[in-house]
Amino acid sequence: MKERVDILKCEVHEEENPYVPERARIIRKYDLTNDVRFFQVRLCNHEKVMEWTTKYKPGQFMMLSIPNVGEAPFSITSTPTRPGIFEFCIRKVGRLTGKLFELRENDFVWLRGPFGNGFPVEKMRGKDLLFVAGGLGAAPLRSVLLYALDYRERFGKIYYLYGAKNPDEMLFKDEFFGMKERQDFDCYLTVDSDPTGEWPYDIGVVTTLFKYVKDIDVENTVAVVCGPPVMYKFVVQEFMKLGIHEENIYMTLERKMKCGMGKCGQCVVGHKYTCIDGPVFTLWDVKTIRNLI
Amino acid sequence: MGKPKIGIYGLTGCAGDQLNILNCEDELLKIFDIFEVKSFVMASRAKDESVPLDVAFVEGSVSTEKDLEELKKVREKSRILVAIGHCAVFGGVQSMYMGCEAWMERYKKVYGKEDAVTISPPLEPRPLSAYVKVDAVLPGCPIEKEPFLKMAGLLAQGVIPKNPDYPVCAECKWKENECLLLKGEMCLGPITNSGCGAICPSHNIGCIGCWGPIEEENFAAGIALLESKGYTLDAVIKRFSIFGGTERGEKLAKYIESVKGGCNG
Amino acid sequence: MRVFKMEKGNLVPFLRSLEEFGEVWGPVKKGNSFVYAHEDPEKFDLSAIRTLIPAKKFFLPKVATILKFKNGAWTDNRECKKRVIFGLHPCDLHALNIYHEFYTRIYEDPYYTSNREATLIIGLSCLPDDNCFCNLTDTSTIEEGFDLFFTELDDKFLVWVGSPRGDEVLAKRKDMVEDITQNDIKEYIEWRKKREKMFKVDLSFTGLPEIVSASYDSDIWDKMGAACLSCGTCTMVCPSCTCFDVEDEYDIRNDELNRKRKWYSCFFREYSMVAGGHNFREARAERLRLWYTHKLVGFMSEYGEPACVGCGRCVVSCPVGINVLSVVRALTGEKNDAFWAKTEVKQL
Repeated sequence: MKERVDILKCEVHEEENPYVPERARIIRKYDLTNDVRFFQVRLCNHEKVMEWTTKYKPGQFMMLSIPNVGEAPFSITSTPTRPGIFEFCIRKVGRLTGKLFELRENDFVWLRGPFGNGFPVEKMRGKDLLFVAGGLGAAPLRSVLLYALDYRERFGKIYYLYGAKNPDEMLFKDEFFGMKERQDFDCYLTVDSDPTGEWPYDIGVVTTLFKYVKDIDVENTVAVVCGPPVMYKFVVQEFMKLGIHEENIYMTLERKMKCGMGKCGQCVVGHKYTCIDGPVFTLWDVKTIRNLI
Repeated sequence: MGKPKIGIYGLTGCAGDQLNILNCEDELLKIFDIFEVKSFVMASRAKDESVPLDVAFVEGSVSTEKDLEELKKVREKSRILVAIGHCAVFGGVQSMYMGCEAWMERYKKVYGKEDAVTISPPLEPRPLSAYVKVDAVLPGCPIEKEPFLKMAGLLAQGVIPKNPDYPVCAECKWKENECLLLKGEMCLGPITNSGCGAICPSHNIGCIGCWGPIEEENFAAGIALLESKGYTLDAVIKRFSIFGGTERGEKLAKYIESVKGGCNG
Repeated sequence: MRVFKMEKGNLVPFLRSLEEFGEVWGPVKKGNSFVYAHEDPEKFDLSAIRTLIPAKKFFLPKVATILKFKNGAWTDNRECKKRVIFGLHPCDLHALNIYHEFYTRIYEDPYYTSNREATLIIGLSCLPDDNCFCNLTDTSTIEEGFDLFFTELDDKFLVWVGSPRGDEVLAKRKDMVEDITQNDIKEYIEWRKKREKMFKVDLSFTGLPEIVSASYDSDIWDKMGAACLSCGTCTMVCPSCTCFDVEDEYDIRNDELNRKRKWYSCFFREYSMVAGGHNFREARAERLRLWYTHKLVGFMSEYGEPACVGCGRCVVSCPVGINVLSVVRALTGEKNDAFWAKTEVKQL
């Protein structure tokens, strides 16, 4: 046998390290509500722009870094059907987001990803789609909604129901108002209350919009709900009333994450790691894996 | 953007935290290089109190009207206020719970009469957070060099640091120490904030808790554990009180009342 | 598996000769316990049952800088060190196999892989003490996951070869080993019998995943939660615990930013707390339940075996006596005088 001098290997291939973030530039930002801001970012490395922005799935998330502050997961609110950029809707809640809100256009952030399972867009083909969003839940939902609209012919009926606390809390108001004009799908918007007195659409919690949902083929419907956990119970009840099966009801969940790759453990629920087995789960998952919501 | 302007101040305490900043001898030039030090009386008489500060480090507890007045002034002109040392963060040994008597009774016991000290009217010793908003804390009695430099580094980058929220035991395990509690020693590791690097247990000395109580201290279980090792409730409570500060003091008082049905005098 | 024998006197020269590949680490005495240390092999204590901290520290260091940020760019900071680790017992090796599967599945963790590739692993047999229960977790013997494995018989070692690397190491040191004889095999079988009889823990792990699953709402978790100090000791000493936290630290001495990862614990309050302060596991009892269900049920669903390898580290480390054995006894209805069971901790 020929002797190997070095039995133990000590090699570092930097390009293989999924922990190293890529630099991206904030190209646009504006406030959606008083504490939620829209960020459009573009990778600085031109060679990676198209690869990164066409290959993700709606419902996936990116790990966003700000040096010195740290890293956290944010769901992508843009769609791979409109590549070139990533968009995020971010609420100012902690140290990292606080720092993010201090950044200006042309400043840098660092990204890695995409991570997570995303919505089952292939399974959704040919099905009726019922999207229900509440508050900031419109952020991850917008990705799959825009995706479905960009591939309109692949899906049956599409309903989008969105509720916010009041008109000022509604994300992407102009965009959704524009969608109401479209003939090829149904978009219904509501606010819990309207202090402005100028709200042109429904008033009431999001479940009140279910009265508009008609003629869907429940056996062939995929329902998606995104919003604050308190809302899930009530929306799920409406789905069940319609007769949608629990394996066809999807929701996306929030957890603390430090790696995005099923290693750091901080997003664990039961034996599932939200970052790799989620963040999109079915109602069946939620019922079996206790503590999920 | 110019260098961040900082000030280092001391209220009632032993000034050991300021001293430990001065003791960072190898890094002192660096500190003066990355920050514009506007006030640090222990290091230099030259000071400028007229400018707003990016960061103020304050040590000591609020124990007199004068302390309170100075603290409010510092708070007003500083963007970030950092409490350094146990006194500033938790109230210090002087704020420990010593019994159910009112604070003034205790004061009279020590000084003989109510108006014994005349420089400034006394207040019951409290941490800074009892009076003003505190943006970051660095506990320890006194503060340690490495955690201070770590904190200074982030502050120089414009970031407000955050301490770990877990007990000394974690760092003690990283040091691969044998557990002192298992050997029957009195050690407050499980209920004390980490960050010190488990210095005392690494030298076979039980933790005395100088980084203060962790947010979620299970001191009822801590007391039960130490009692099971043969320590009396009084001995345990005394150890808990030293660096327990105001808040734990109040919790302890409630606990003592519930188990002993009265005051721990 | 290829197997040779080695005279006892050859062990130290053999281990010393391995310094040519990297630092040779082994178990040495610290107080009444043991730690893995880089010392002269003569100091290695072959009677070490369990080290305070398991060998996971070589593959996921307690604190390590994973990335550096300087002049606007992040760079990989893999600090790979060539090491030979001697003295891992079957339970430790089983845990390492869990680590391997965990850290390479779906996404390969480059820090883990680098460390693993740079490490030669030499196992060592053991005789159980009162707190060992690897016989119950089916981890008392080991077939893979090592380069070489030494079984200590009365006057010799049997040396099992577990990898091409191990084979090469041995091929270079042919003069230190001999072929085994029928008699050696007999001795080995006798040794196995003796060892099997030494296990003392009387408990059944059969059907445990179902029992733990079904006990989700049991009040046992609350009782133990009241006694638990959430100090994280059990997770730090557990050889199959993998969790970490990531934190940025600015080093003013060198003007660079270090992204560090540190061991972390699901028992810590902020483990499941998201920005804004919502905590998905506010109560200690919920965190305690998470650990045990993840160990005993979760890994079962994911890898077909529990993540407890029966090393007994939690049994000897928890200051209040909450450990796999006391929890399993409580869940299976066996009365045991664990600390938490005899002392009802009064909460405020």
